[in-house]
Amino acid sequence: MATAPKDKFANLKALRPANRPASPPIAEGSVQTMEPCDSLAEFLGAAPQHNRFGEHLSIRRWYSDPSSIDPDLESLRLLLPGAPPDAADPRRWLFLDTETTGLAGGSGTYAFLVGIAWWDTAGLEVEQFFMRDHSEEHSVLFELRKRMLERPILLTFNGKSFDWPLLETRFRMTRSIPPHPPLAHIDLLHPSRQLWRLRVGNARLSQLEEHVLGWRREGDVFSELIPQIYFDFLRTGAAAPLVPVIRHNQMDLRGLAALTRKAFSLLASPESEGSDAFELYGVSRILSRHGHRARARQLFGSTLDAGLPPELETLARGHLARLAKLDRDYPAATLLWEQLRCKKNASIVERTEACIELAIHFEHRARDPLRAAEIMRDALAQLSAGTKQSGPAAVRCRKLRARVQHRLERLTRKCLQPRIGAVSPAPFARQR
Amino acid sequence: MAQSLAVRTRTSLDVIHEALGEIAARDRTGEVLTAVQRIPAREAQFAAIPSWAAPELAAVYRAKGVSQLYTHQSSAVEHVHAGKNAVVVTPTASGKTLCYNLPVLNAILENADTRALYLFPTKALAQDQLAELHDLATRLNDRFGVFTYDGDTPGDARKAIRERGHIVLTNPDMLHTGILPHHTKWMRLFENLRYIVLDELHTYRGVFGSHLANVLRRLRRIARFYGSDPIFICCSATIANPGELASRLIEDEVEVVDENGAPSAEKVFVFYNPPVVNRNLGIRRSYLNEATRVAKELLSRNLQTIVFANSRLHTEVMLTYLRQAFPSSPGRSEPIRGYRGGYLPGERRDIERGLRDGKIRGVVSTNALEFGIDIGSLDATVLAGYPGSIASTWQRAGRAGRRTGTSCAVMVASSSPLDQFIVQHPEYFFGRSPEHAYVQPDNLEILVNHLKCAAFELPLDPAERFGDVDLPALCERLAQAGFLHKSGGNYHWIQEAYPANAVSLRSVTSDNFVIIDITGNERDESAGPEVIGEVDFASALTTVHPKAIYIHEGQQFHVERLDFAERKVYVKRVNVDYFTDAIRYTQVRVLEIADSHSSSGPSERAHGDVLVRSQVVGFKKIKFFTNENLGAGKLELPENEMHTTAFWLTLRRELVASLPFSVSDRQGGMFGLLHALESIATLLLMCDRRDLGAAIGERPPNPGIEAEWEQVPEAAVDLTESKEFFEPNLYLYDAYPGGIGFSEPLYRAANLLLQRTHELISACPCEKGCPSCVGPVGECHEHAKEAALEILRRLNG
Repeated sequence: MATAPKDKFANLKALRPANRPASPPIAEGSVQTMEPCDSLAEFLGAAPQHNRFGEHLSIRRWYSDPSSIDPDLESLRLLLPGAPPDAADPRRWLFLDTETTGLAGGSGTYAFLVGIAWWDTAGLEVEQFFMRDHSEEHSVLFELRKRMLERPILLTFNGKSFDWPLLETRFRMTRSIPPHPPLAHIDLLHPSRQLWRLRVGNARLSQLEEHVLGWRREGDVFSELIPQIYFDFLRTGAAAPLVPVIRHNQMDLRGLAALTRKAFSLLASPESEGSDAFELYGVSRILSRHGHRARARQLFGSTLDAGLPPELETLARGHLARLAKLDRDYPAATLLWEQLRCKKNASIVERTEACIELAIHFEHRARDPLRAAEIMRDALAQLSAGTKQSGPAAVRCRKLRARVQHRLERLTRKCLQPRIGAVSPAPFARQR
Repeated sequence: MAQSLAVRTRTSLDVIHEALGEIAARDRTGEVLTAVQRIPAREAQFAAIPSWAAPELAAVYRAKGVSQLYTHQSSAVEHVHAGKNAVVVTPTASGKTLCYNLPVLNAILENADTRALYLFPTKALAQDQLAELHDLATRLNDRFGVFTYDGDTPGDARKAIRERGHIVLTNPDMLHTGILPHHTKWMRLFENLRYIVLDELHTYRGVFGSHLANVLRRLRRIARFYGSDPIFICCSATIANPGELASRLIEDEVEVVDENGAPSAEKVFVFYNPPVVNRNLGIRRSYLNEATRVAKELLSRNLQTIVFANSRLHTEVMLTYLRQAFPSSPGRSEPIRGYRGGYLPGERRDIERGLRDGKIRGVVSTNALEFGIDIGSLDATVLAGYPGSIASTWQRAGRAGRRTGTSCAVMVASSSPLDQFIVQHPEYFFGRSPEHAYVQPDNLEILVNHLKCAAFELPLDPAERFGDVDLPALCERLAQAGFLHKSGGNYHWIQEAYPANAVSLRSVTSDNFVIIDITGNERDESAGPEVIGEVDFASALTTVHPKAIYIHEGQQFHVERLDFAERKVYVKRVNVDYFTDAIRYTQVRVLEIADSHSSSGPSERAHGDVLVRSQVVGFKKIKFFTNENLGAGKLELPENEMHTTAFWLTLRRELVASLPFSVSDRQGGMFGLLHALESIATLLLMCDRRDLGAAIGERPPNPGIEAEWEQVPEAAVDLTESKEFFEPNLYLYDAYPGGIGFSEPLYRAANLLLQRTHELISACPCEKGCPSCVGPVGECHEHAKEAALEILRRLNG
């Protein structure tokens, strides 16, 4: 066969250009085509930074807002259970956020821009390391490692599952610069969800900034476009589109620091600072999850007083009832269950669950199986209406109905038994 | 049967001969048993457990009853101990797992950092090996960790496996998408990787093997990055070229161990050719019915029997028949079960257990049970149709074979030419295996896809080697196409997308259709829709198209709706007396001719790149037992498109015009010739018949030019409606995207192909064509066989 290798490649599906068309070729003589390195640095407001692994660009900025905080250890431990005492020293904190060539992870995804920030006495210092191409990655990572040695407490937004594992991979790929694992890593994503998603609707950093901090990002770049902007820069040297990427990363770091500040103040004194009911609810849940039952009950109470939308109010009462039950405060718990059971706008599932709790209470603690059976009969009647729905709600209703039915049958047997059975100390649970 | 199906009192040659006598009795001529081969029992040949084996390991094996090794085990472990790659070629149940477990465990006991990676072609096989290794681990006080790592591994367990797994059992697909792209997470494994085990090596042929060779290139590249250079231990069923296959896959020298030292009990291997019932039409009795009858004879003599069918449909049809013959007694579990890919895992484990403990007396299976899944050893195997390769046939037959006594295997031939060739030439089968496993690791389509994955995993240095290609040029092309960027001398991946996700090692898309039974909705309010099984993308179009009868565990379901976008099939339970068979149309377009030449006829032969489009356009309803055609339906389903390679034969206008037959008979002759050519091609290439496709189309004026597409039915049915061909191309194409290297050998062997095809058709006893030569004759192609022979005479002339 006389086909030349070049022709052989021509028909390959695997060589068809990638989905996204390459950016249009840039007119000759345009400033953006091939800038000398120092003018790129100038353009980005950066300076070359050297270390023994090579060179990359470094960008420094200082912001007066947000300023430093003095976190208390107890609040810190609500975010990071078991945090060591020295983790509460903000001088050891390092905020981190990366811009990457993709979200998929794996060893072919690069962090081309690594942004870090820390509080100095008056404000926030931001430093960014930018690799002009892949050969500058090692010096970026080495620089990051040095900063992490100085400030070993890492604060990120979704960094536990994204930024840090990705950087660990990058460090390992060097085979020469070992990663310096953070002494502690506080990821603000989950606390932010608990505190603010109910109000903001999602937990994207820019949305949180707007709705929690009242900041507005002007001309921010869509984060989905960032990888392609970098790829275009690699291929064509187009530096202008990088400027908003660098600003985006700075904003992310500032937003992260400001949210951290806000979260700590909320956790330390939730009822000051004009917190809204959603925030109070969020703090209550965090407290309850970490076993601070007394504080959680008290705060759930204040949350209900502050006034919640109906669905949340039901949830809050449910939480409160569970806490009361754990505290063996049965009068409070039964009162809440009774309220839930009769609540018009509670869902059928929520009402039935309250009924089951009440039935358990009357059967085993109040020793009033007749009352328990009555509640179960009532629940069953309500459920029969509920199962007419379709979808996942119907499936849950069916399961609940089975539980209710089972309980009701047992209660009926128990009620029919000789009276002695009712006063006998033998636990009913053994009958099964 | 009156006797209980619980305990067998005697298994001997007598029982088997009695059964065979009964099977053959109906046929007066005695022609049905074309071979009764008695394979004598063989004695074990032993060697001592090597002195270098750790004493505690030797003790564990002794406690398990292994006080000596078989000779093949001994030479395998010695090669590995000496740091050489090895391939062990052994039949079923010859103790092959010891060949890799012993050296690997010994190395782990010597140095607890040692890591090994075991690759099995399927998840199920890895699961099966896990049990044996867990047992060894327990006996060695858990001094090593062993885990399976596949798509089912829960996320929270993965981290522990990466750190603590000394032996990780996985499959090529998971290695490809789950491990290699995340190699930094597997640093401990790769830094200490000393052994790689490739079990069922012979399955890595064709497209799958060509992919695997490239996955192994990537694996070795990552191992080098972490400073390790693992030894490969391979196990293969009997094929003609295990050493060649292994060294093409791992691209290194391999020691071949093929002297089997394991004992085996006596076995009787029988070829059964269903009797001819209509000599005019060459019609034989249905092989499915005959195989069922054979199975009944064996089962009724209380021989635990496995029946292998070549398709899911046939599994279910035979299961239906056998269940009618052996109904379950009230209150007892079903004695006859079905087994195939679409069953859910729990159901499968249950059947495997039932076979081991003997509660299940018979099982009807697809090739799903061909491999090493532990079902114990049965008494008899029935193969309904030739499985397509000699290696598969022996593996399936190996499912029967107790330690003592005699087992038997009966292969019931279908009327397909391949089956007929095999049953009529037993010497071909019982002699030394003629089967070669081919791979084409440098198939550019495959290679370039893996090169992308490799670049994602680790920047590409244009000076490194990746197969036999011009790497700098390819890197440059990938950079131009926007996949790679050169920086600091290396090429780096610059795409967001994750390349491994777009590359399936099995050539077909990896997504499955879920089959949902929605019968319950009407009968019982509380019973919701239930998932009853799965079917892969490729077979979905032919098995679960709308209005198809899908059979699962003997129960028929009518397909109500096929939701293509959601990959869901909604079915309802029915009870009808027919099953459905899909009708597919195939079109071929020549893209590029690699080579061609003219020859007598006048005709031309060529091979090159083609585009194959196929579509399921309808289905037939076929009545149970009688196989009557009850009618057909039309379907509108999406088209499948594939770029592959093909060999083709062009019949020049003069040749076609000179045939002394009507247009319809000429067409019939061409389809008949193609039918026979395809059969002989699979024989010559020793490939599975599914690896080749066949089609006819009008020769396009120029390659690459979009000609009017011909609607060409795959089988020679209803030819009356098809257009007349003036200068047809008869295509035999590789049924895989990119091709797997069959077209060029076929092109080179074209003379032999035509001669053998001529022999096949002219020697066939039928009058006017039958399924064994030119395919079934239609009413209007009375002279199809004649016409085919006439064409061949001109081509061979």
